[in-house]
Amino acid sequence: MQVFNAFFKVLRSKLGLALIYIPVFIAMTIGLTFADNGGGVFEQERLNVCIFDEDATPLSSALCDFIGKRNDLVPLENDRDVIIDALYYGCVDYVLTIKSGYADKLSVGKTDELYESMRMHDTYSTVYMTQMLNEYANTVSAYIAGGNDAITAAGKAGEAMLKDAEVNTAKFDDNSGAVLTSTAALYFRFLVYALIGLTMSTLCPVLLAMSRKDIRYRTNCSGIRPNSYTLQILAGCVIYIIAIWAVFVAIGAVMNGGVFEGAQWIAVLNSFVFMLFTTMLTIFVSSFDPSINIINIITQVISIGMCFLSGVFIDQSMLGEGVLSAARFLPAYWYIRVNRMLEGSEPFDQNTLVLSIAIELGFAVVLAFMTLLIRRVRYGGMTVHKAQTSAACITE
Amino acid sequence: MKNSVVKIDNLVKRYGDLTALDHLSLDIAEGEVFGLLGPNGSGKTTTINCLLSLLTYDKGDIELFGKKMSPTAYNIKKEIGVIMQNVAVFDELTVYENIDYFCGLYINDKAQRKQYVDEAVKFVGLEEFLKSRPKKLSGGLLRRLNIACGIAHKPKLIILDEPTVAVDPQSRNKILEGIEQLNREGATVIYTSHYMEEVEQICTRIAIMDKGKKIAEGTKDELKRMIRNTETMNIEIIDLPDEVRSKISVLPHVYNTEYDGSKLTVYCSGGKHNLTRVLGVLQEHELGFGRVYSELPTLNDVFLEITGKALRDKED
Amino acid sequence: MFFHNLKYELLINLRAPALIAWLMIFPIFLGTVFKIGFGSIYETVDSFGSIPTAVVETKENEIFRSVVESVSEGDNKLLDVTFTDEENALRMLKDGDVKGIIYSGDKVTLTVVGKGIQETIIKSFIEQYNVYADIITDAVRNDPARAQDVIAALSADMTACREVPLTQGDPDHYAQYFYNLIAMVAIFGSVTGLHITETNQANMSALGARRNCSPTPKSASLTAALAGSFIAQAVCMTICVTFIQFALKIDFGERLPLVYAAAIIGGCLGVTMGFFIGSIGRLSSEVKNGIAMTVSMLCCFLSGLMVGNIKGLLAEKIPWFNNVNPVAIISDCFYCLNIYSDFDRFSFKMISMAVYIVVFTSLGIILSRGKKYASI
Repeated sequence: MQVFNAFFKVLRSKLGLALIYIPVFIAMTIGLTFADNGGGVFEQERLNVCIFDEDATPLSSALCDFIGKRNDLVPLENDRDVIIDALYYGCVDYVLTIKSGYADKLSVGKTDELYESMRMHDTYSTVYMTQMLNEYANTVSAYIAGGNDAITAAGKAGEAMLKDAEVNTAKFDDNSGAVLTSTAALYFRFLVYALIGLTMSTLCPVLLAMSRKDIRYRTNCSGIRPNSYTLQILAGCVIYIIAIWAVFVAIGAVMNGGVFEGAQWIAVLNSFVFMLFTTMLTIFVSSFDPSINIINIITQVISIGMCFLSGVFIDQSMLGEGVLSAARFLPAYWYIRVNRMLEGSEPFDQNTLVLSIAIELGFAVVLAFMTLLIRRVRYGGMTVHKAQTSAACITE
Repeated sequence: MKNSVVKIDNLVKRYGDLTALDHLSLDIAEGEVFGLLGPNGSGKTTTINCLLSLLTYDKGDIELFGKKMSPTAYNIKKEIGVIMQNVAVFDELTVYENIDYFCGLYINDKAQRKQYVDEAVKFVGLEEFLKSRPKKLSGGLLRRLNIACGIAHKPKLIILDEPTVAVDPQSRNKILEGIEQLNREGATVIYTSHYMEEVEQICTRIAIMDKGKKIAEGTKDELKRMIRNTETMNIEIIDLPDEVRSKISVLPHVYNTEYDGSKLTVYCSGGKHNLTRVLGVLQEHELGFGRVYSELPTLNDVFLEITGKALRDKED
Repeated sequence: MFFHNLKYELLINLRAPALIAWLMIFPIFLGTVFKIGFGSIYETVDSFGSIPTAVVETKENEIFRSVVESVSEGDNKLLDVTFTDEENALRMLKDGDVKGIIYSGDKVTLTVVGKGIQETIIKSFIEQYNVYADIITDAVRNDPARAQDVIAALSADMTACREVPLTQGDPDHYAQYFYNLIAMVAIFGSVTGLHITETNQANMSALGARRNCSPTPKSASLTAALAGSFIAQAVCMTICVTFIQFALKIDFGERLPLVYAAAIIGGCLGVTMGFFIGSIGRLSSEVKNGIAMTVSMLCCFLSGLMVGNIKGLLAEKIPWFNNVNPVAIISDCFYCLNIYSDFDRFSFKMISMAVYIVVFTSLGIILSRGKKYASI
């Protein structure tokens, strides 16, 4: 137990560092949760549309009303730079200018170049918007051709186009739908980033201090077996990280709007297993004795890279098949799959659920074994031997 | 009176409640090899760091070469060579590059620098290792590199803070000889150590420190004269009756005796033929004894007598 | 004196390449990840692949059937339709073989499982069909004779909306992520900046103590150390931009030399930030490292590296913030070069960076020069 006890003594001296990282990661996770306004998962997405009505007739305001029903109208200063900024940063998705003469032209059935649009991104929603505006003109014109006056035609066209198709959500026997609130689901999704980043940033300094060369040599000289040493370190790490994890789960409960119930505990279990993985990953990486600066960079590469590829920062439904099949080799992918089932984006399937969590656990176990192996090789006397021979060559 | 190189006046340094330096005053003249002797934690390194304006201090004045020392006193710093307790060299640079780098912080002229660096290399005997990185050097060689980096620019004042810690006897002798040579060439040397033999060997004047205070100062002979003890006798003897020991204790010049069951130690102060008298008492009682040897006082005895504790615990 | 110091600073950087190497590897790695990730988004979202759909006919509906068939033919077909019975359709939906089931009868309805983009496309297809059905019904009730005109109007070319091109540069939404990535590499220069203080402060290393004893003024040795780090960081930035431009083919617009300049200045900003953090107070090097890291991460996060719209949100809610956040300033430089034809905004961002560099450097030097330490 000596190693285990020493671990916590070292840990105590590094707590200050942890106290810098923990609030930042909490802030970022909560920030991500609330900043992600859907991020691409949309059921009939509302766009932020800015309209400059140069025509200013009843017919053009009918168009504005029509657009406003399904979208949010955003006022903007009619200045090119302001518009470009707003578009670039996504404050506005679509800018429409109704050209003067709109009403006159439409009344006589002319539908060419009634308005101008600007958009930054060719996403589905904005392409759809242009299509819908084209259709609207044709629909109004068709109603006029059918014998209605312009205003009535516009009204009927708007009404017809706003009619929703009846959409049912299929319920299968084992499909319990969304288990988590969407806020909690997003929170648990972004937790991946915090867990990787936080585990590595706070645990590595402790591990590196424990395995400093002279201390390691001294430990090597003692009777302790390398496996026992590694297991004691491992136990210490897990206990430490569980403490941090518990803080995040508590915040998760707040996001959830209360204590977890029933199937919601799956989210907690899922994050627990993923935390085991990040702990093993940290121990594994620190077995290579990198400097603290390099650890910091590796942490960024792993956390951000894995989050982008496995559907944390980008929704899995938006990632292509190729990326997703590659992501299967990342535990975060399986974590997110479980989370998607809990948020109702994917059919709930008990087998997939168990499999996913088992795979996450599998990654942790594999890393644990690799760590044991590496520590045996690196700390089992080989390095000491090498260092001694090289020193012996030099001494007089 | 020679010029004063270092003048420390009433220096006080506190770390919280701990007083590391307690009204310390030192005056070191040009051409001296001045030893700061004291056990671990007595304040030697703190004195050096204050002297170099690395540390803040709470009270007192420090003058070097007659000028007030400060972090920006570059003219003073130019004349000082420092060899720190910890090896301070770049792992990324070779032996030669390290010396050149540090020398370059003092000497701008390239040609002169090259000459100085070469001399420094020769001085510490690292000619064969010019292209080696510090990591490949053994402890003793590393210490020598550390010294070369500190003295390459031929400073007038050389400060060595425990330069021989963890160094093998050969390297240690080489280092000590080097210091004496530098002194012969005109440098004033401040040397801290807790090895009294070293200090006795090379220092012209010695200050003994304990708990941040200077407890004695002078040449080694002066220091030894300060104490009562002039001779310590050790006699290996088994089963010494108390009455005999008491008899020895009251002999003239004897001021203390110690007996641990196998060895009798007798402390004398002044006088002649002390040993004969002690042995006479033993013979009188027909007691057999083994090895007998007598020692003159060391700096350790000085320290022991002034503070009541040994300078260092046996060997460390 | 300066060049002597600089020479050795560079030599040290060169001999200890691990950190610099990682600073080079990490944008290459993350850049590739971004490219793959966003590339696949275009694949799924922005190019309309045909959506697998099941159609269950509850009642004969000739018109709908022919409409469905017309959109599921050709190269650019919208739907990939399977006509089948309800039981089979539900099984396919459950297994994920189809995204939705269209029930056609008197009323056309849709059954889906999720609420993704493809489900939405099927839904709008049905709605469009319903609108046309409504118009025809309305026309027939009003005046059957006009039916021909109505159909003509419906089938007229869709030209009502003219799209105005926005920019001269590449309006790629995801370019922002790459801009932020470059800015992240730049701000991570703080790691090298921190290192400067570590080897120059007496209370942080034995080397620092030795340097402090030398007659070289601290401002001189620090300036040389900074210059050395600037050069190392500039190399990192150049490699990073080159990789993103030429290997990942992210278009920075026409003014590439200025892109390099902005990236390098950004890198210097990162170095000086680390230098400044390293110079404050008596914190341990580990804690200083932690502060530099968290500050860098937070700045990246707020600039939208993780989720892009955060920067937009901030621009809406606290407009001044993006002008203060160093990472946002750096990434905005690239954006300005790409989007705006004039140099007003770009110059403003560049000046902001220069101000940061000057402030950080001077504060750092002021904090560490002529300094004694309370303990070593």
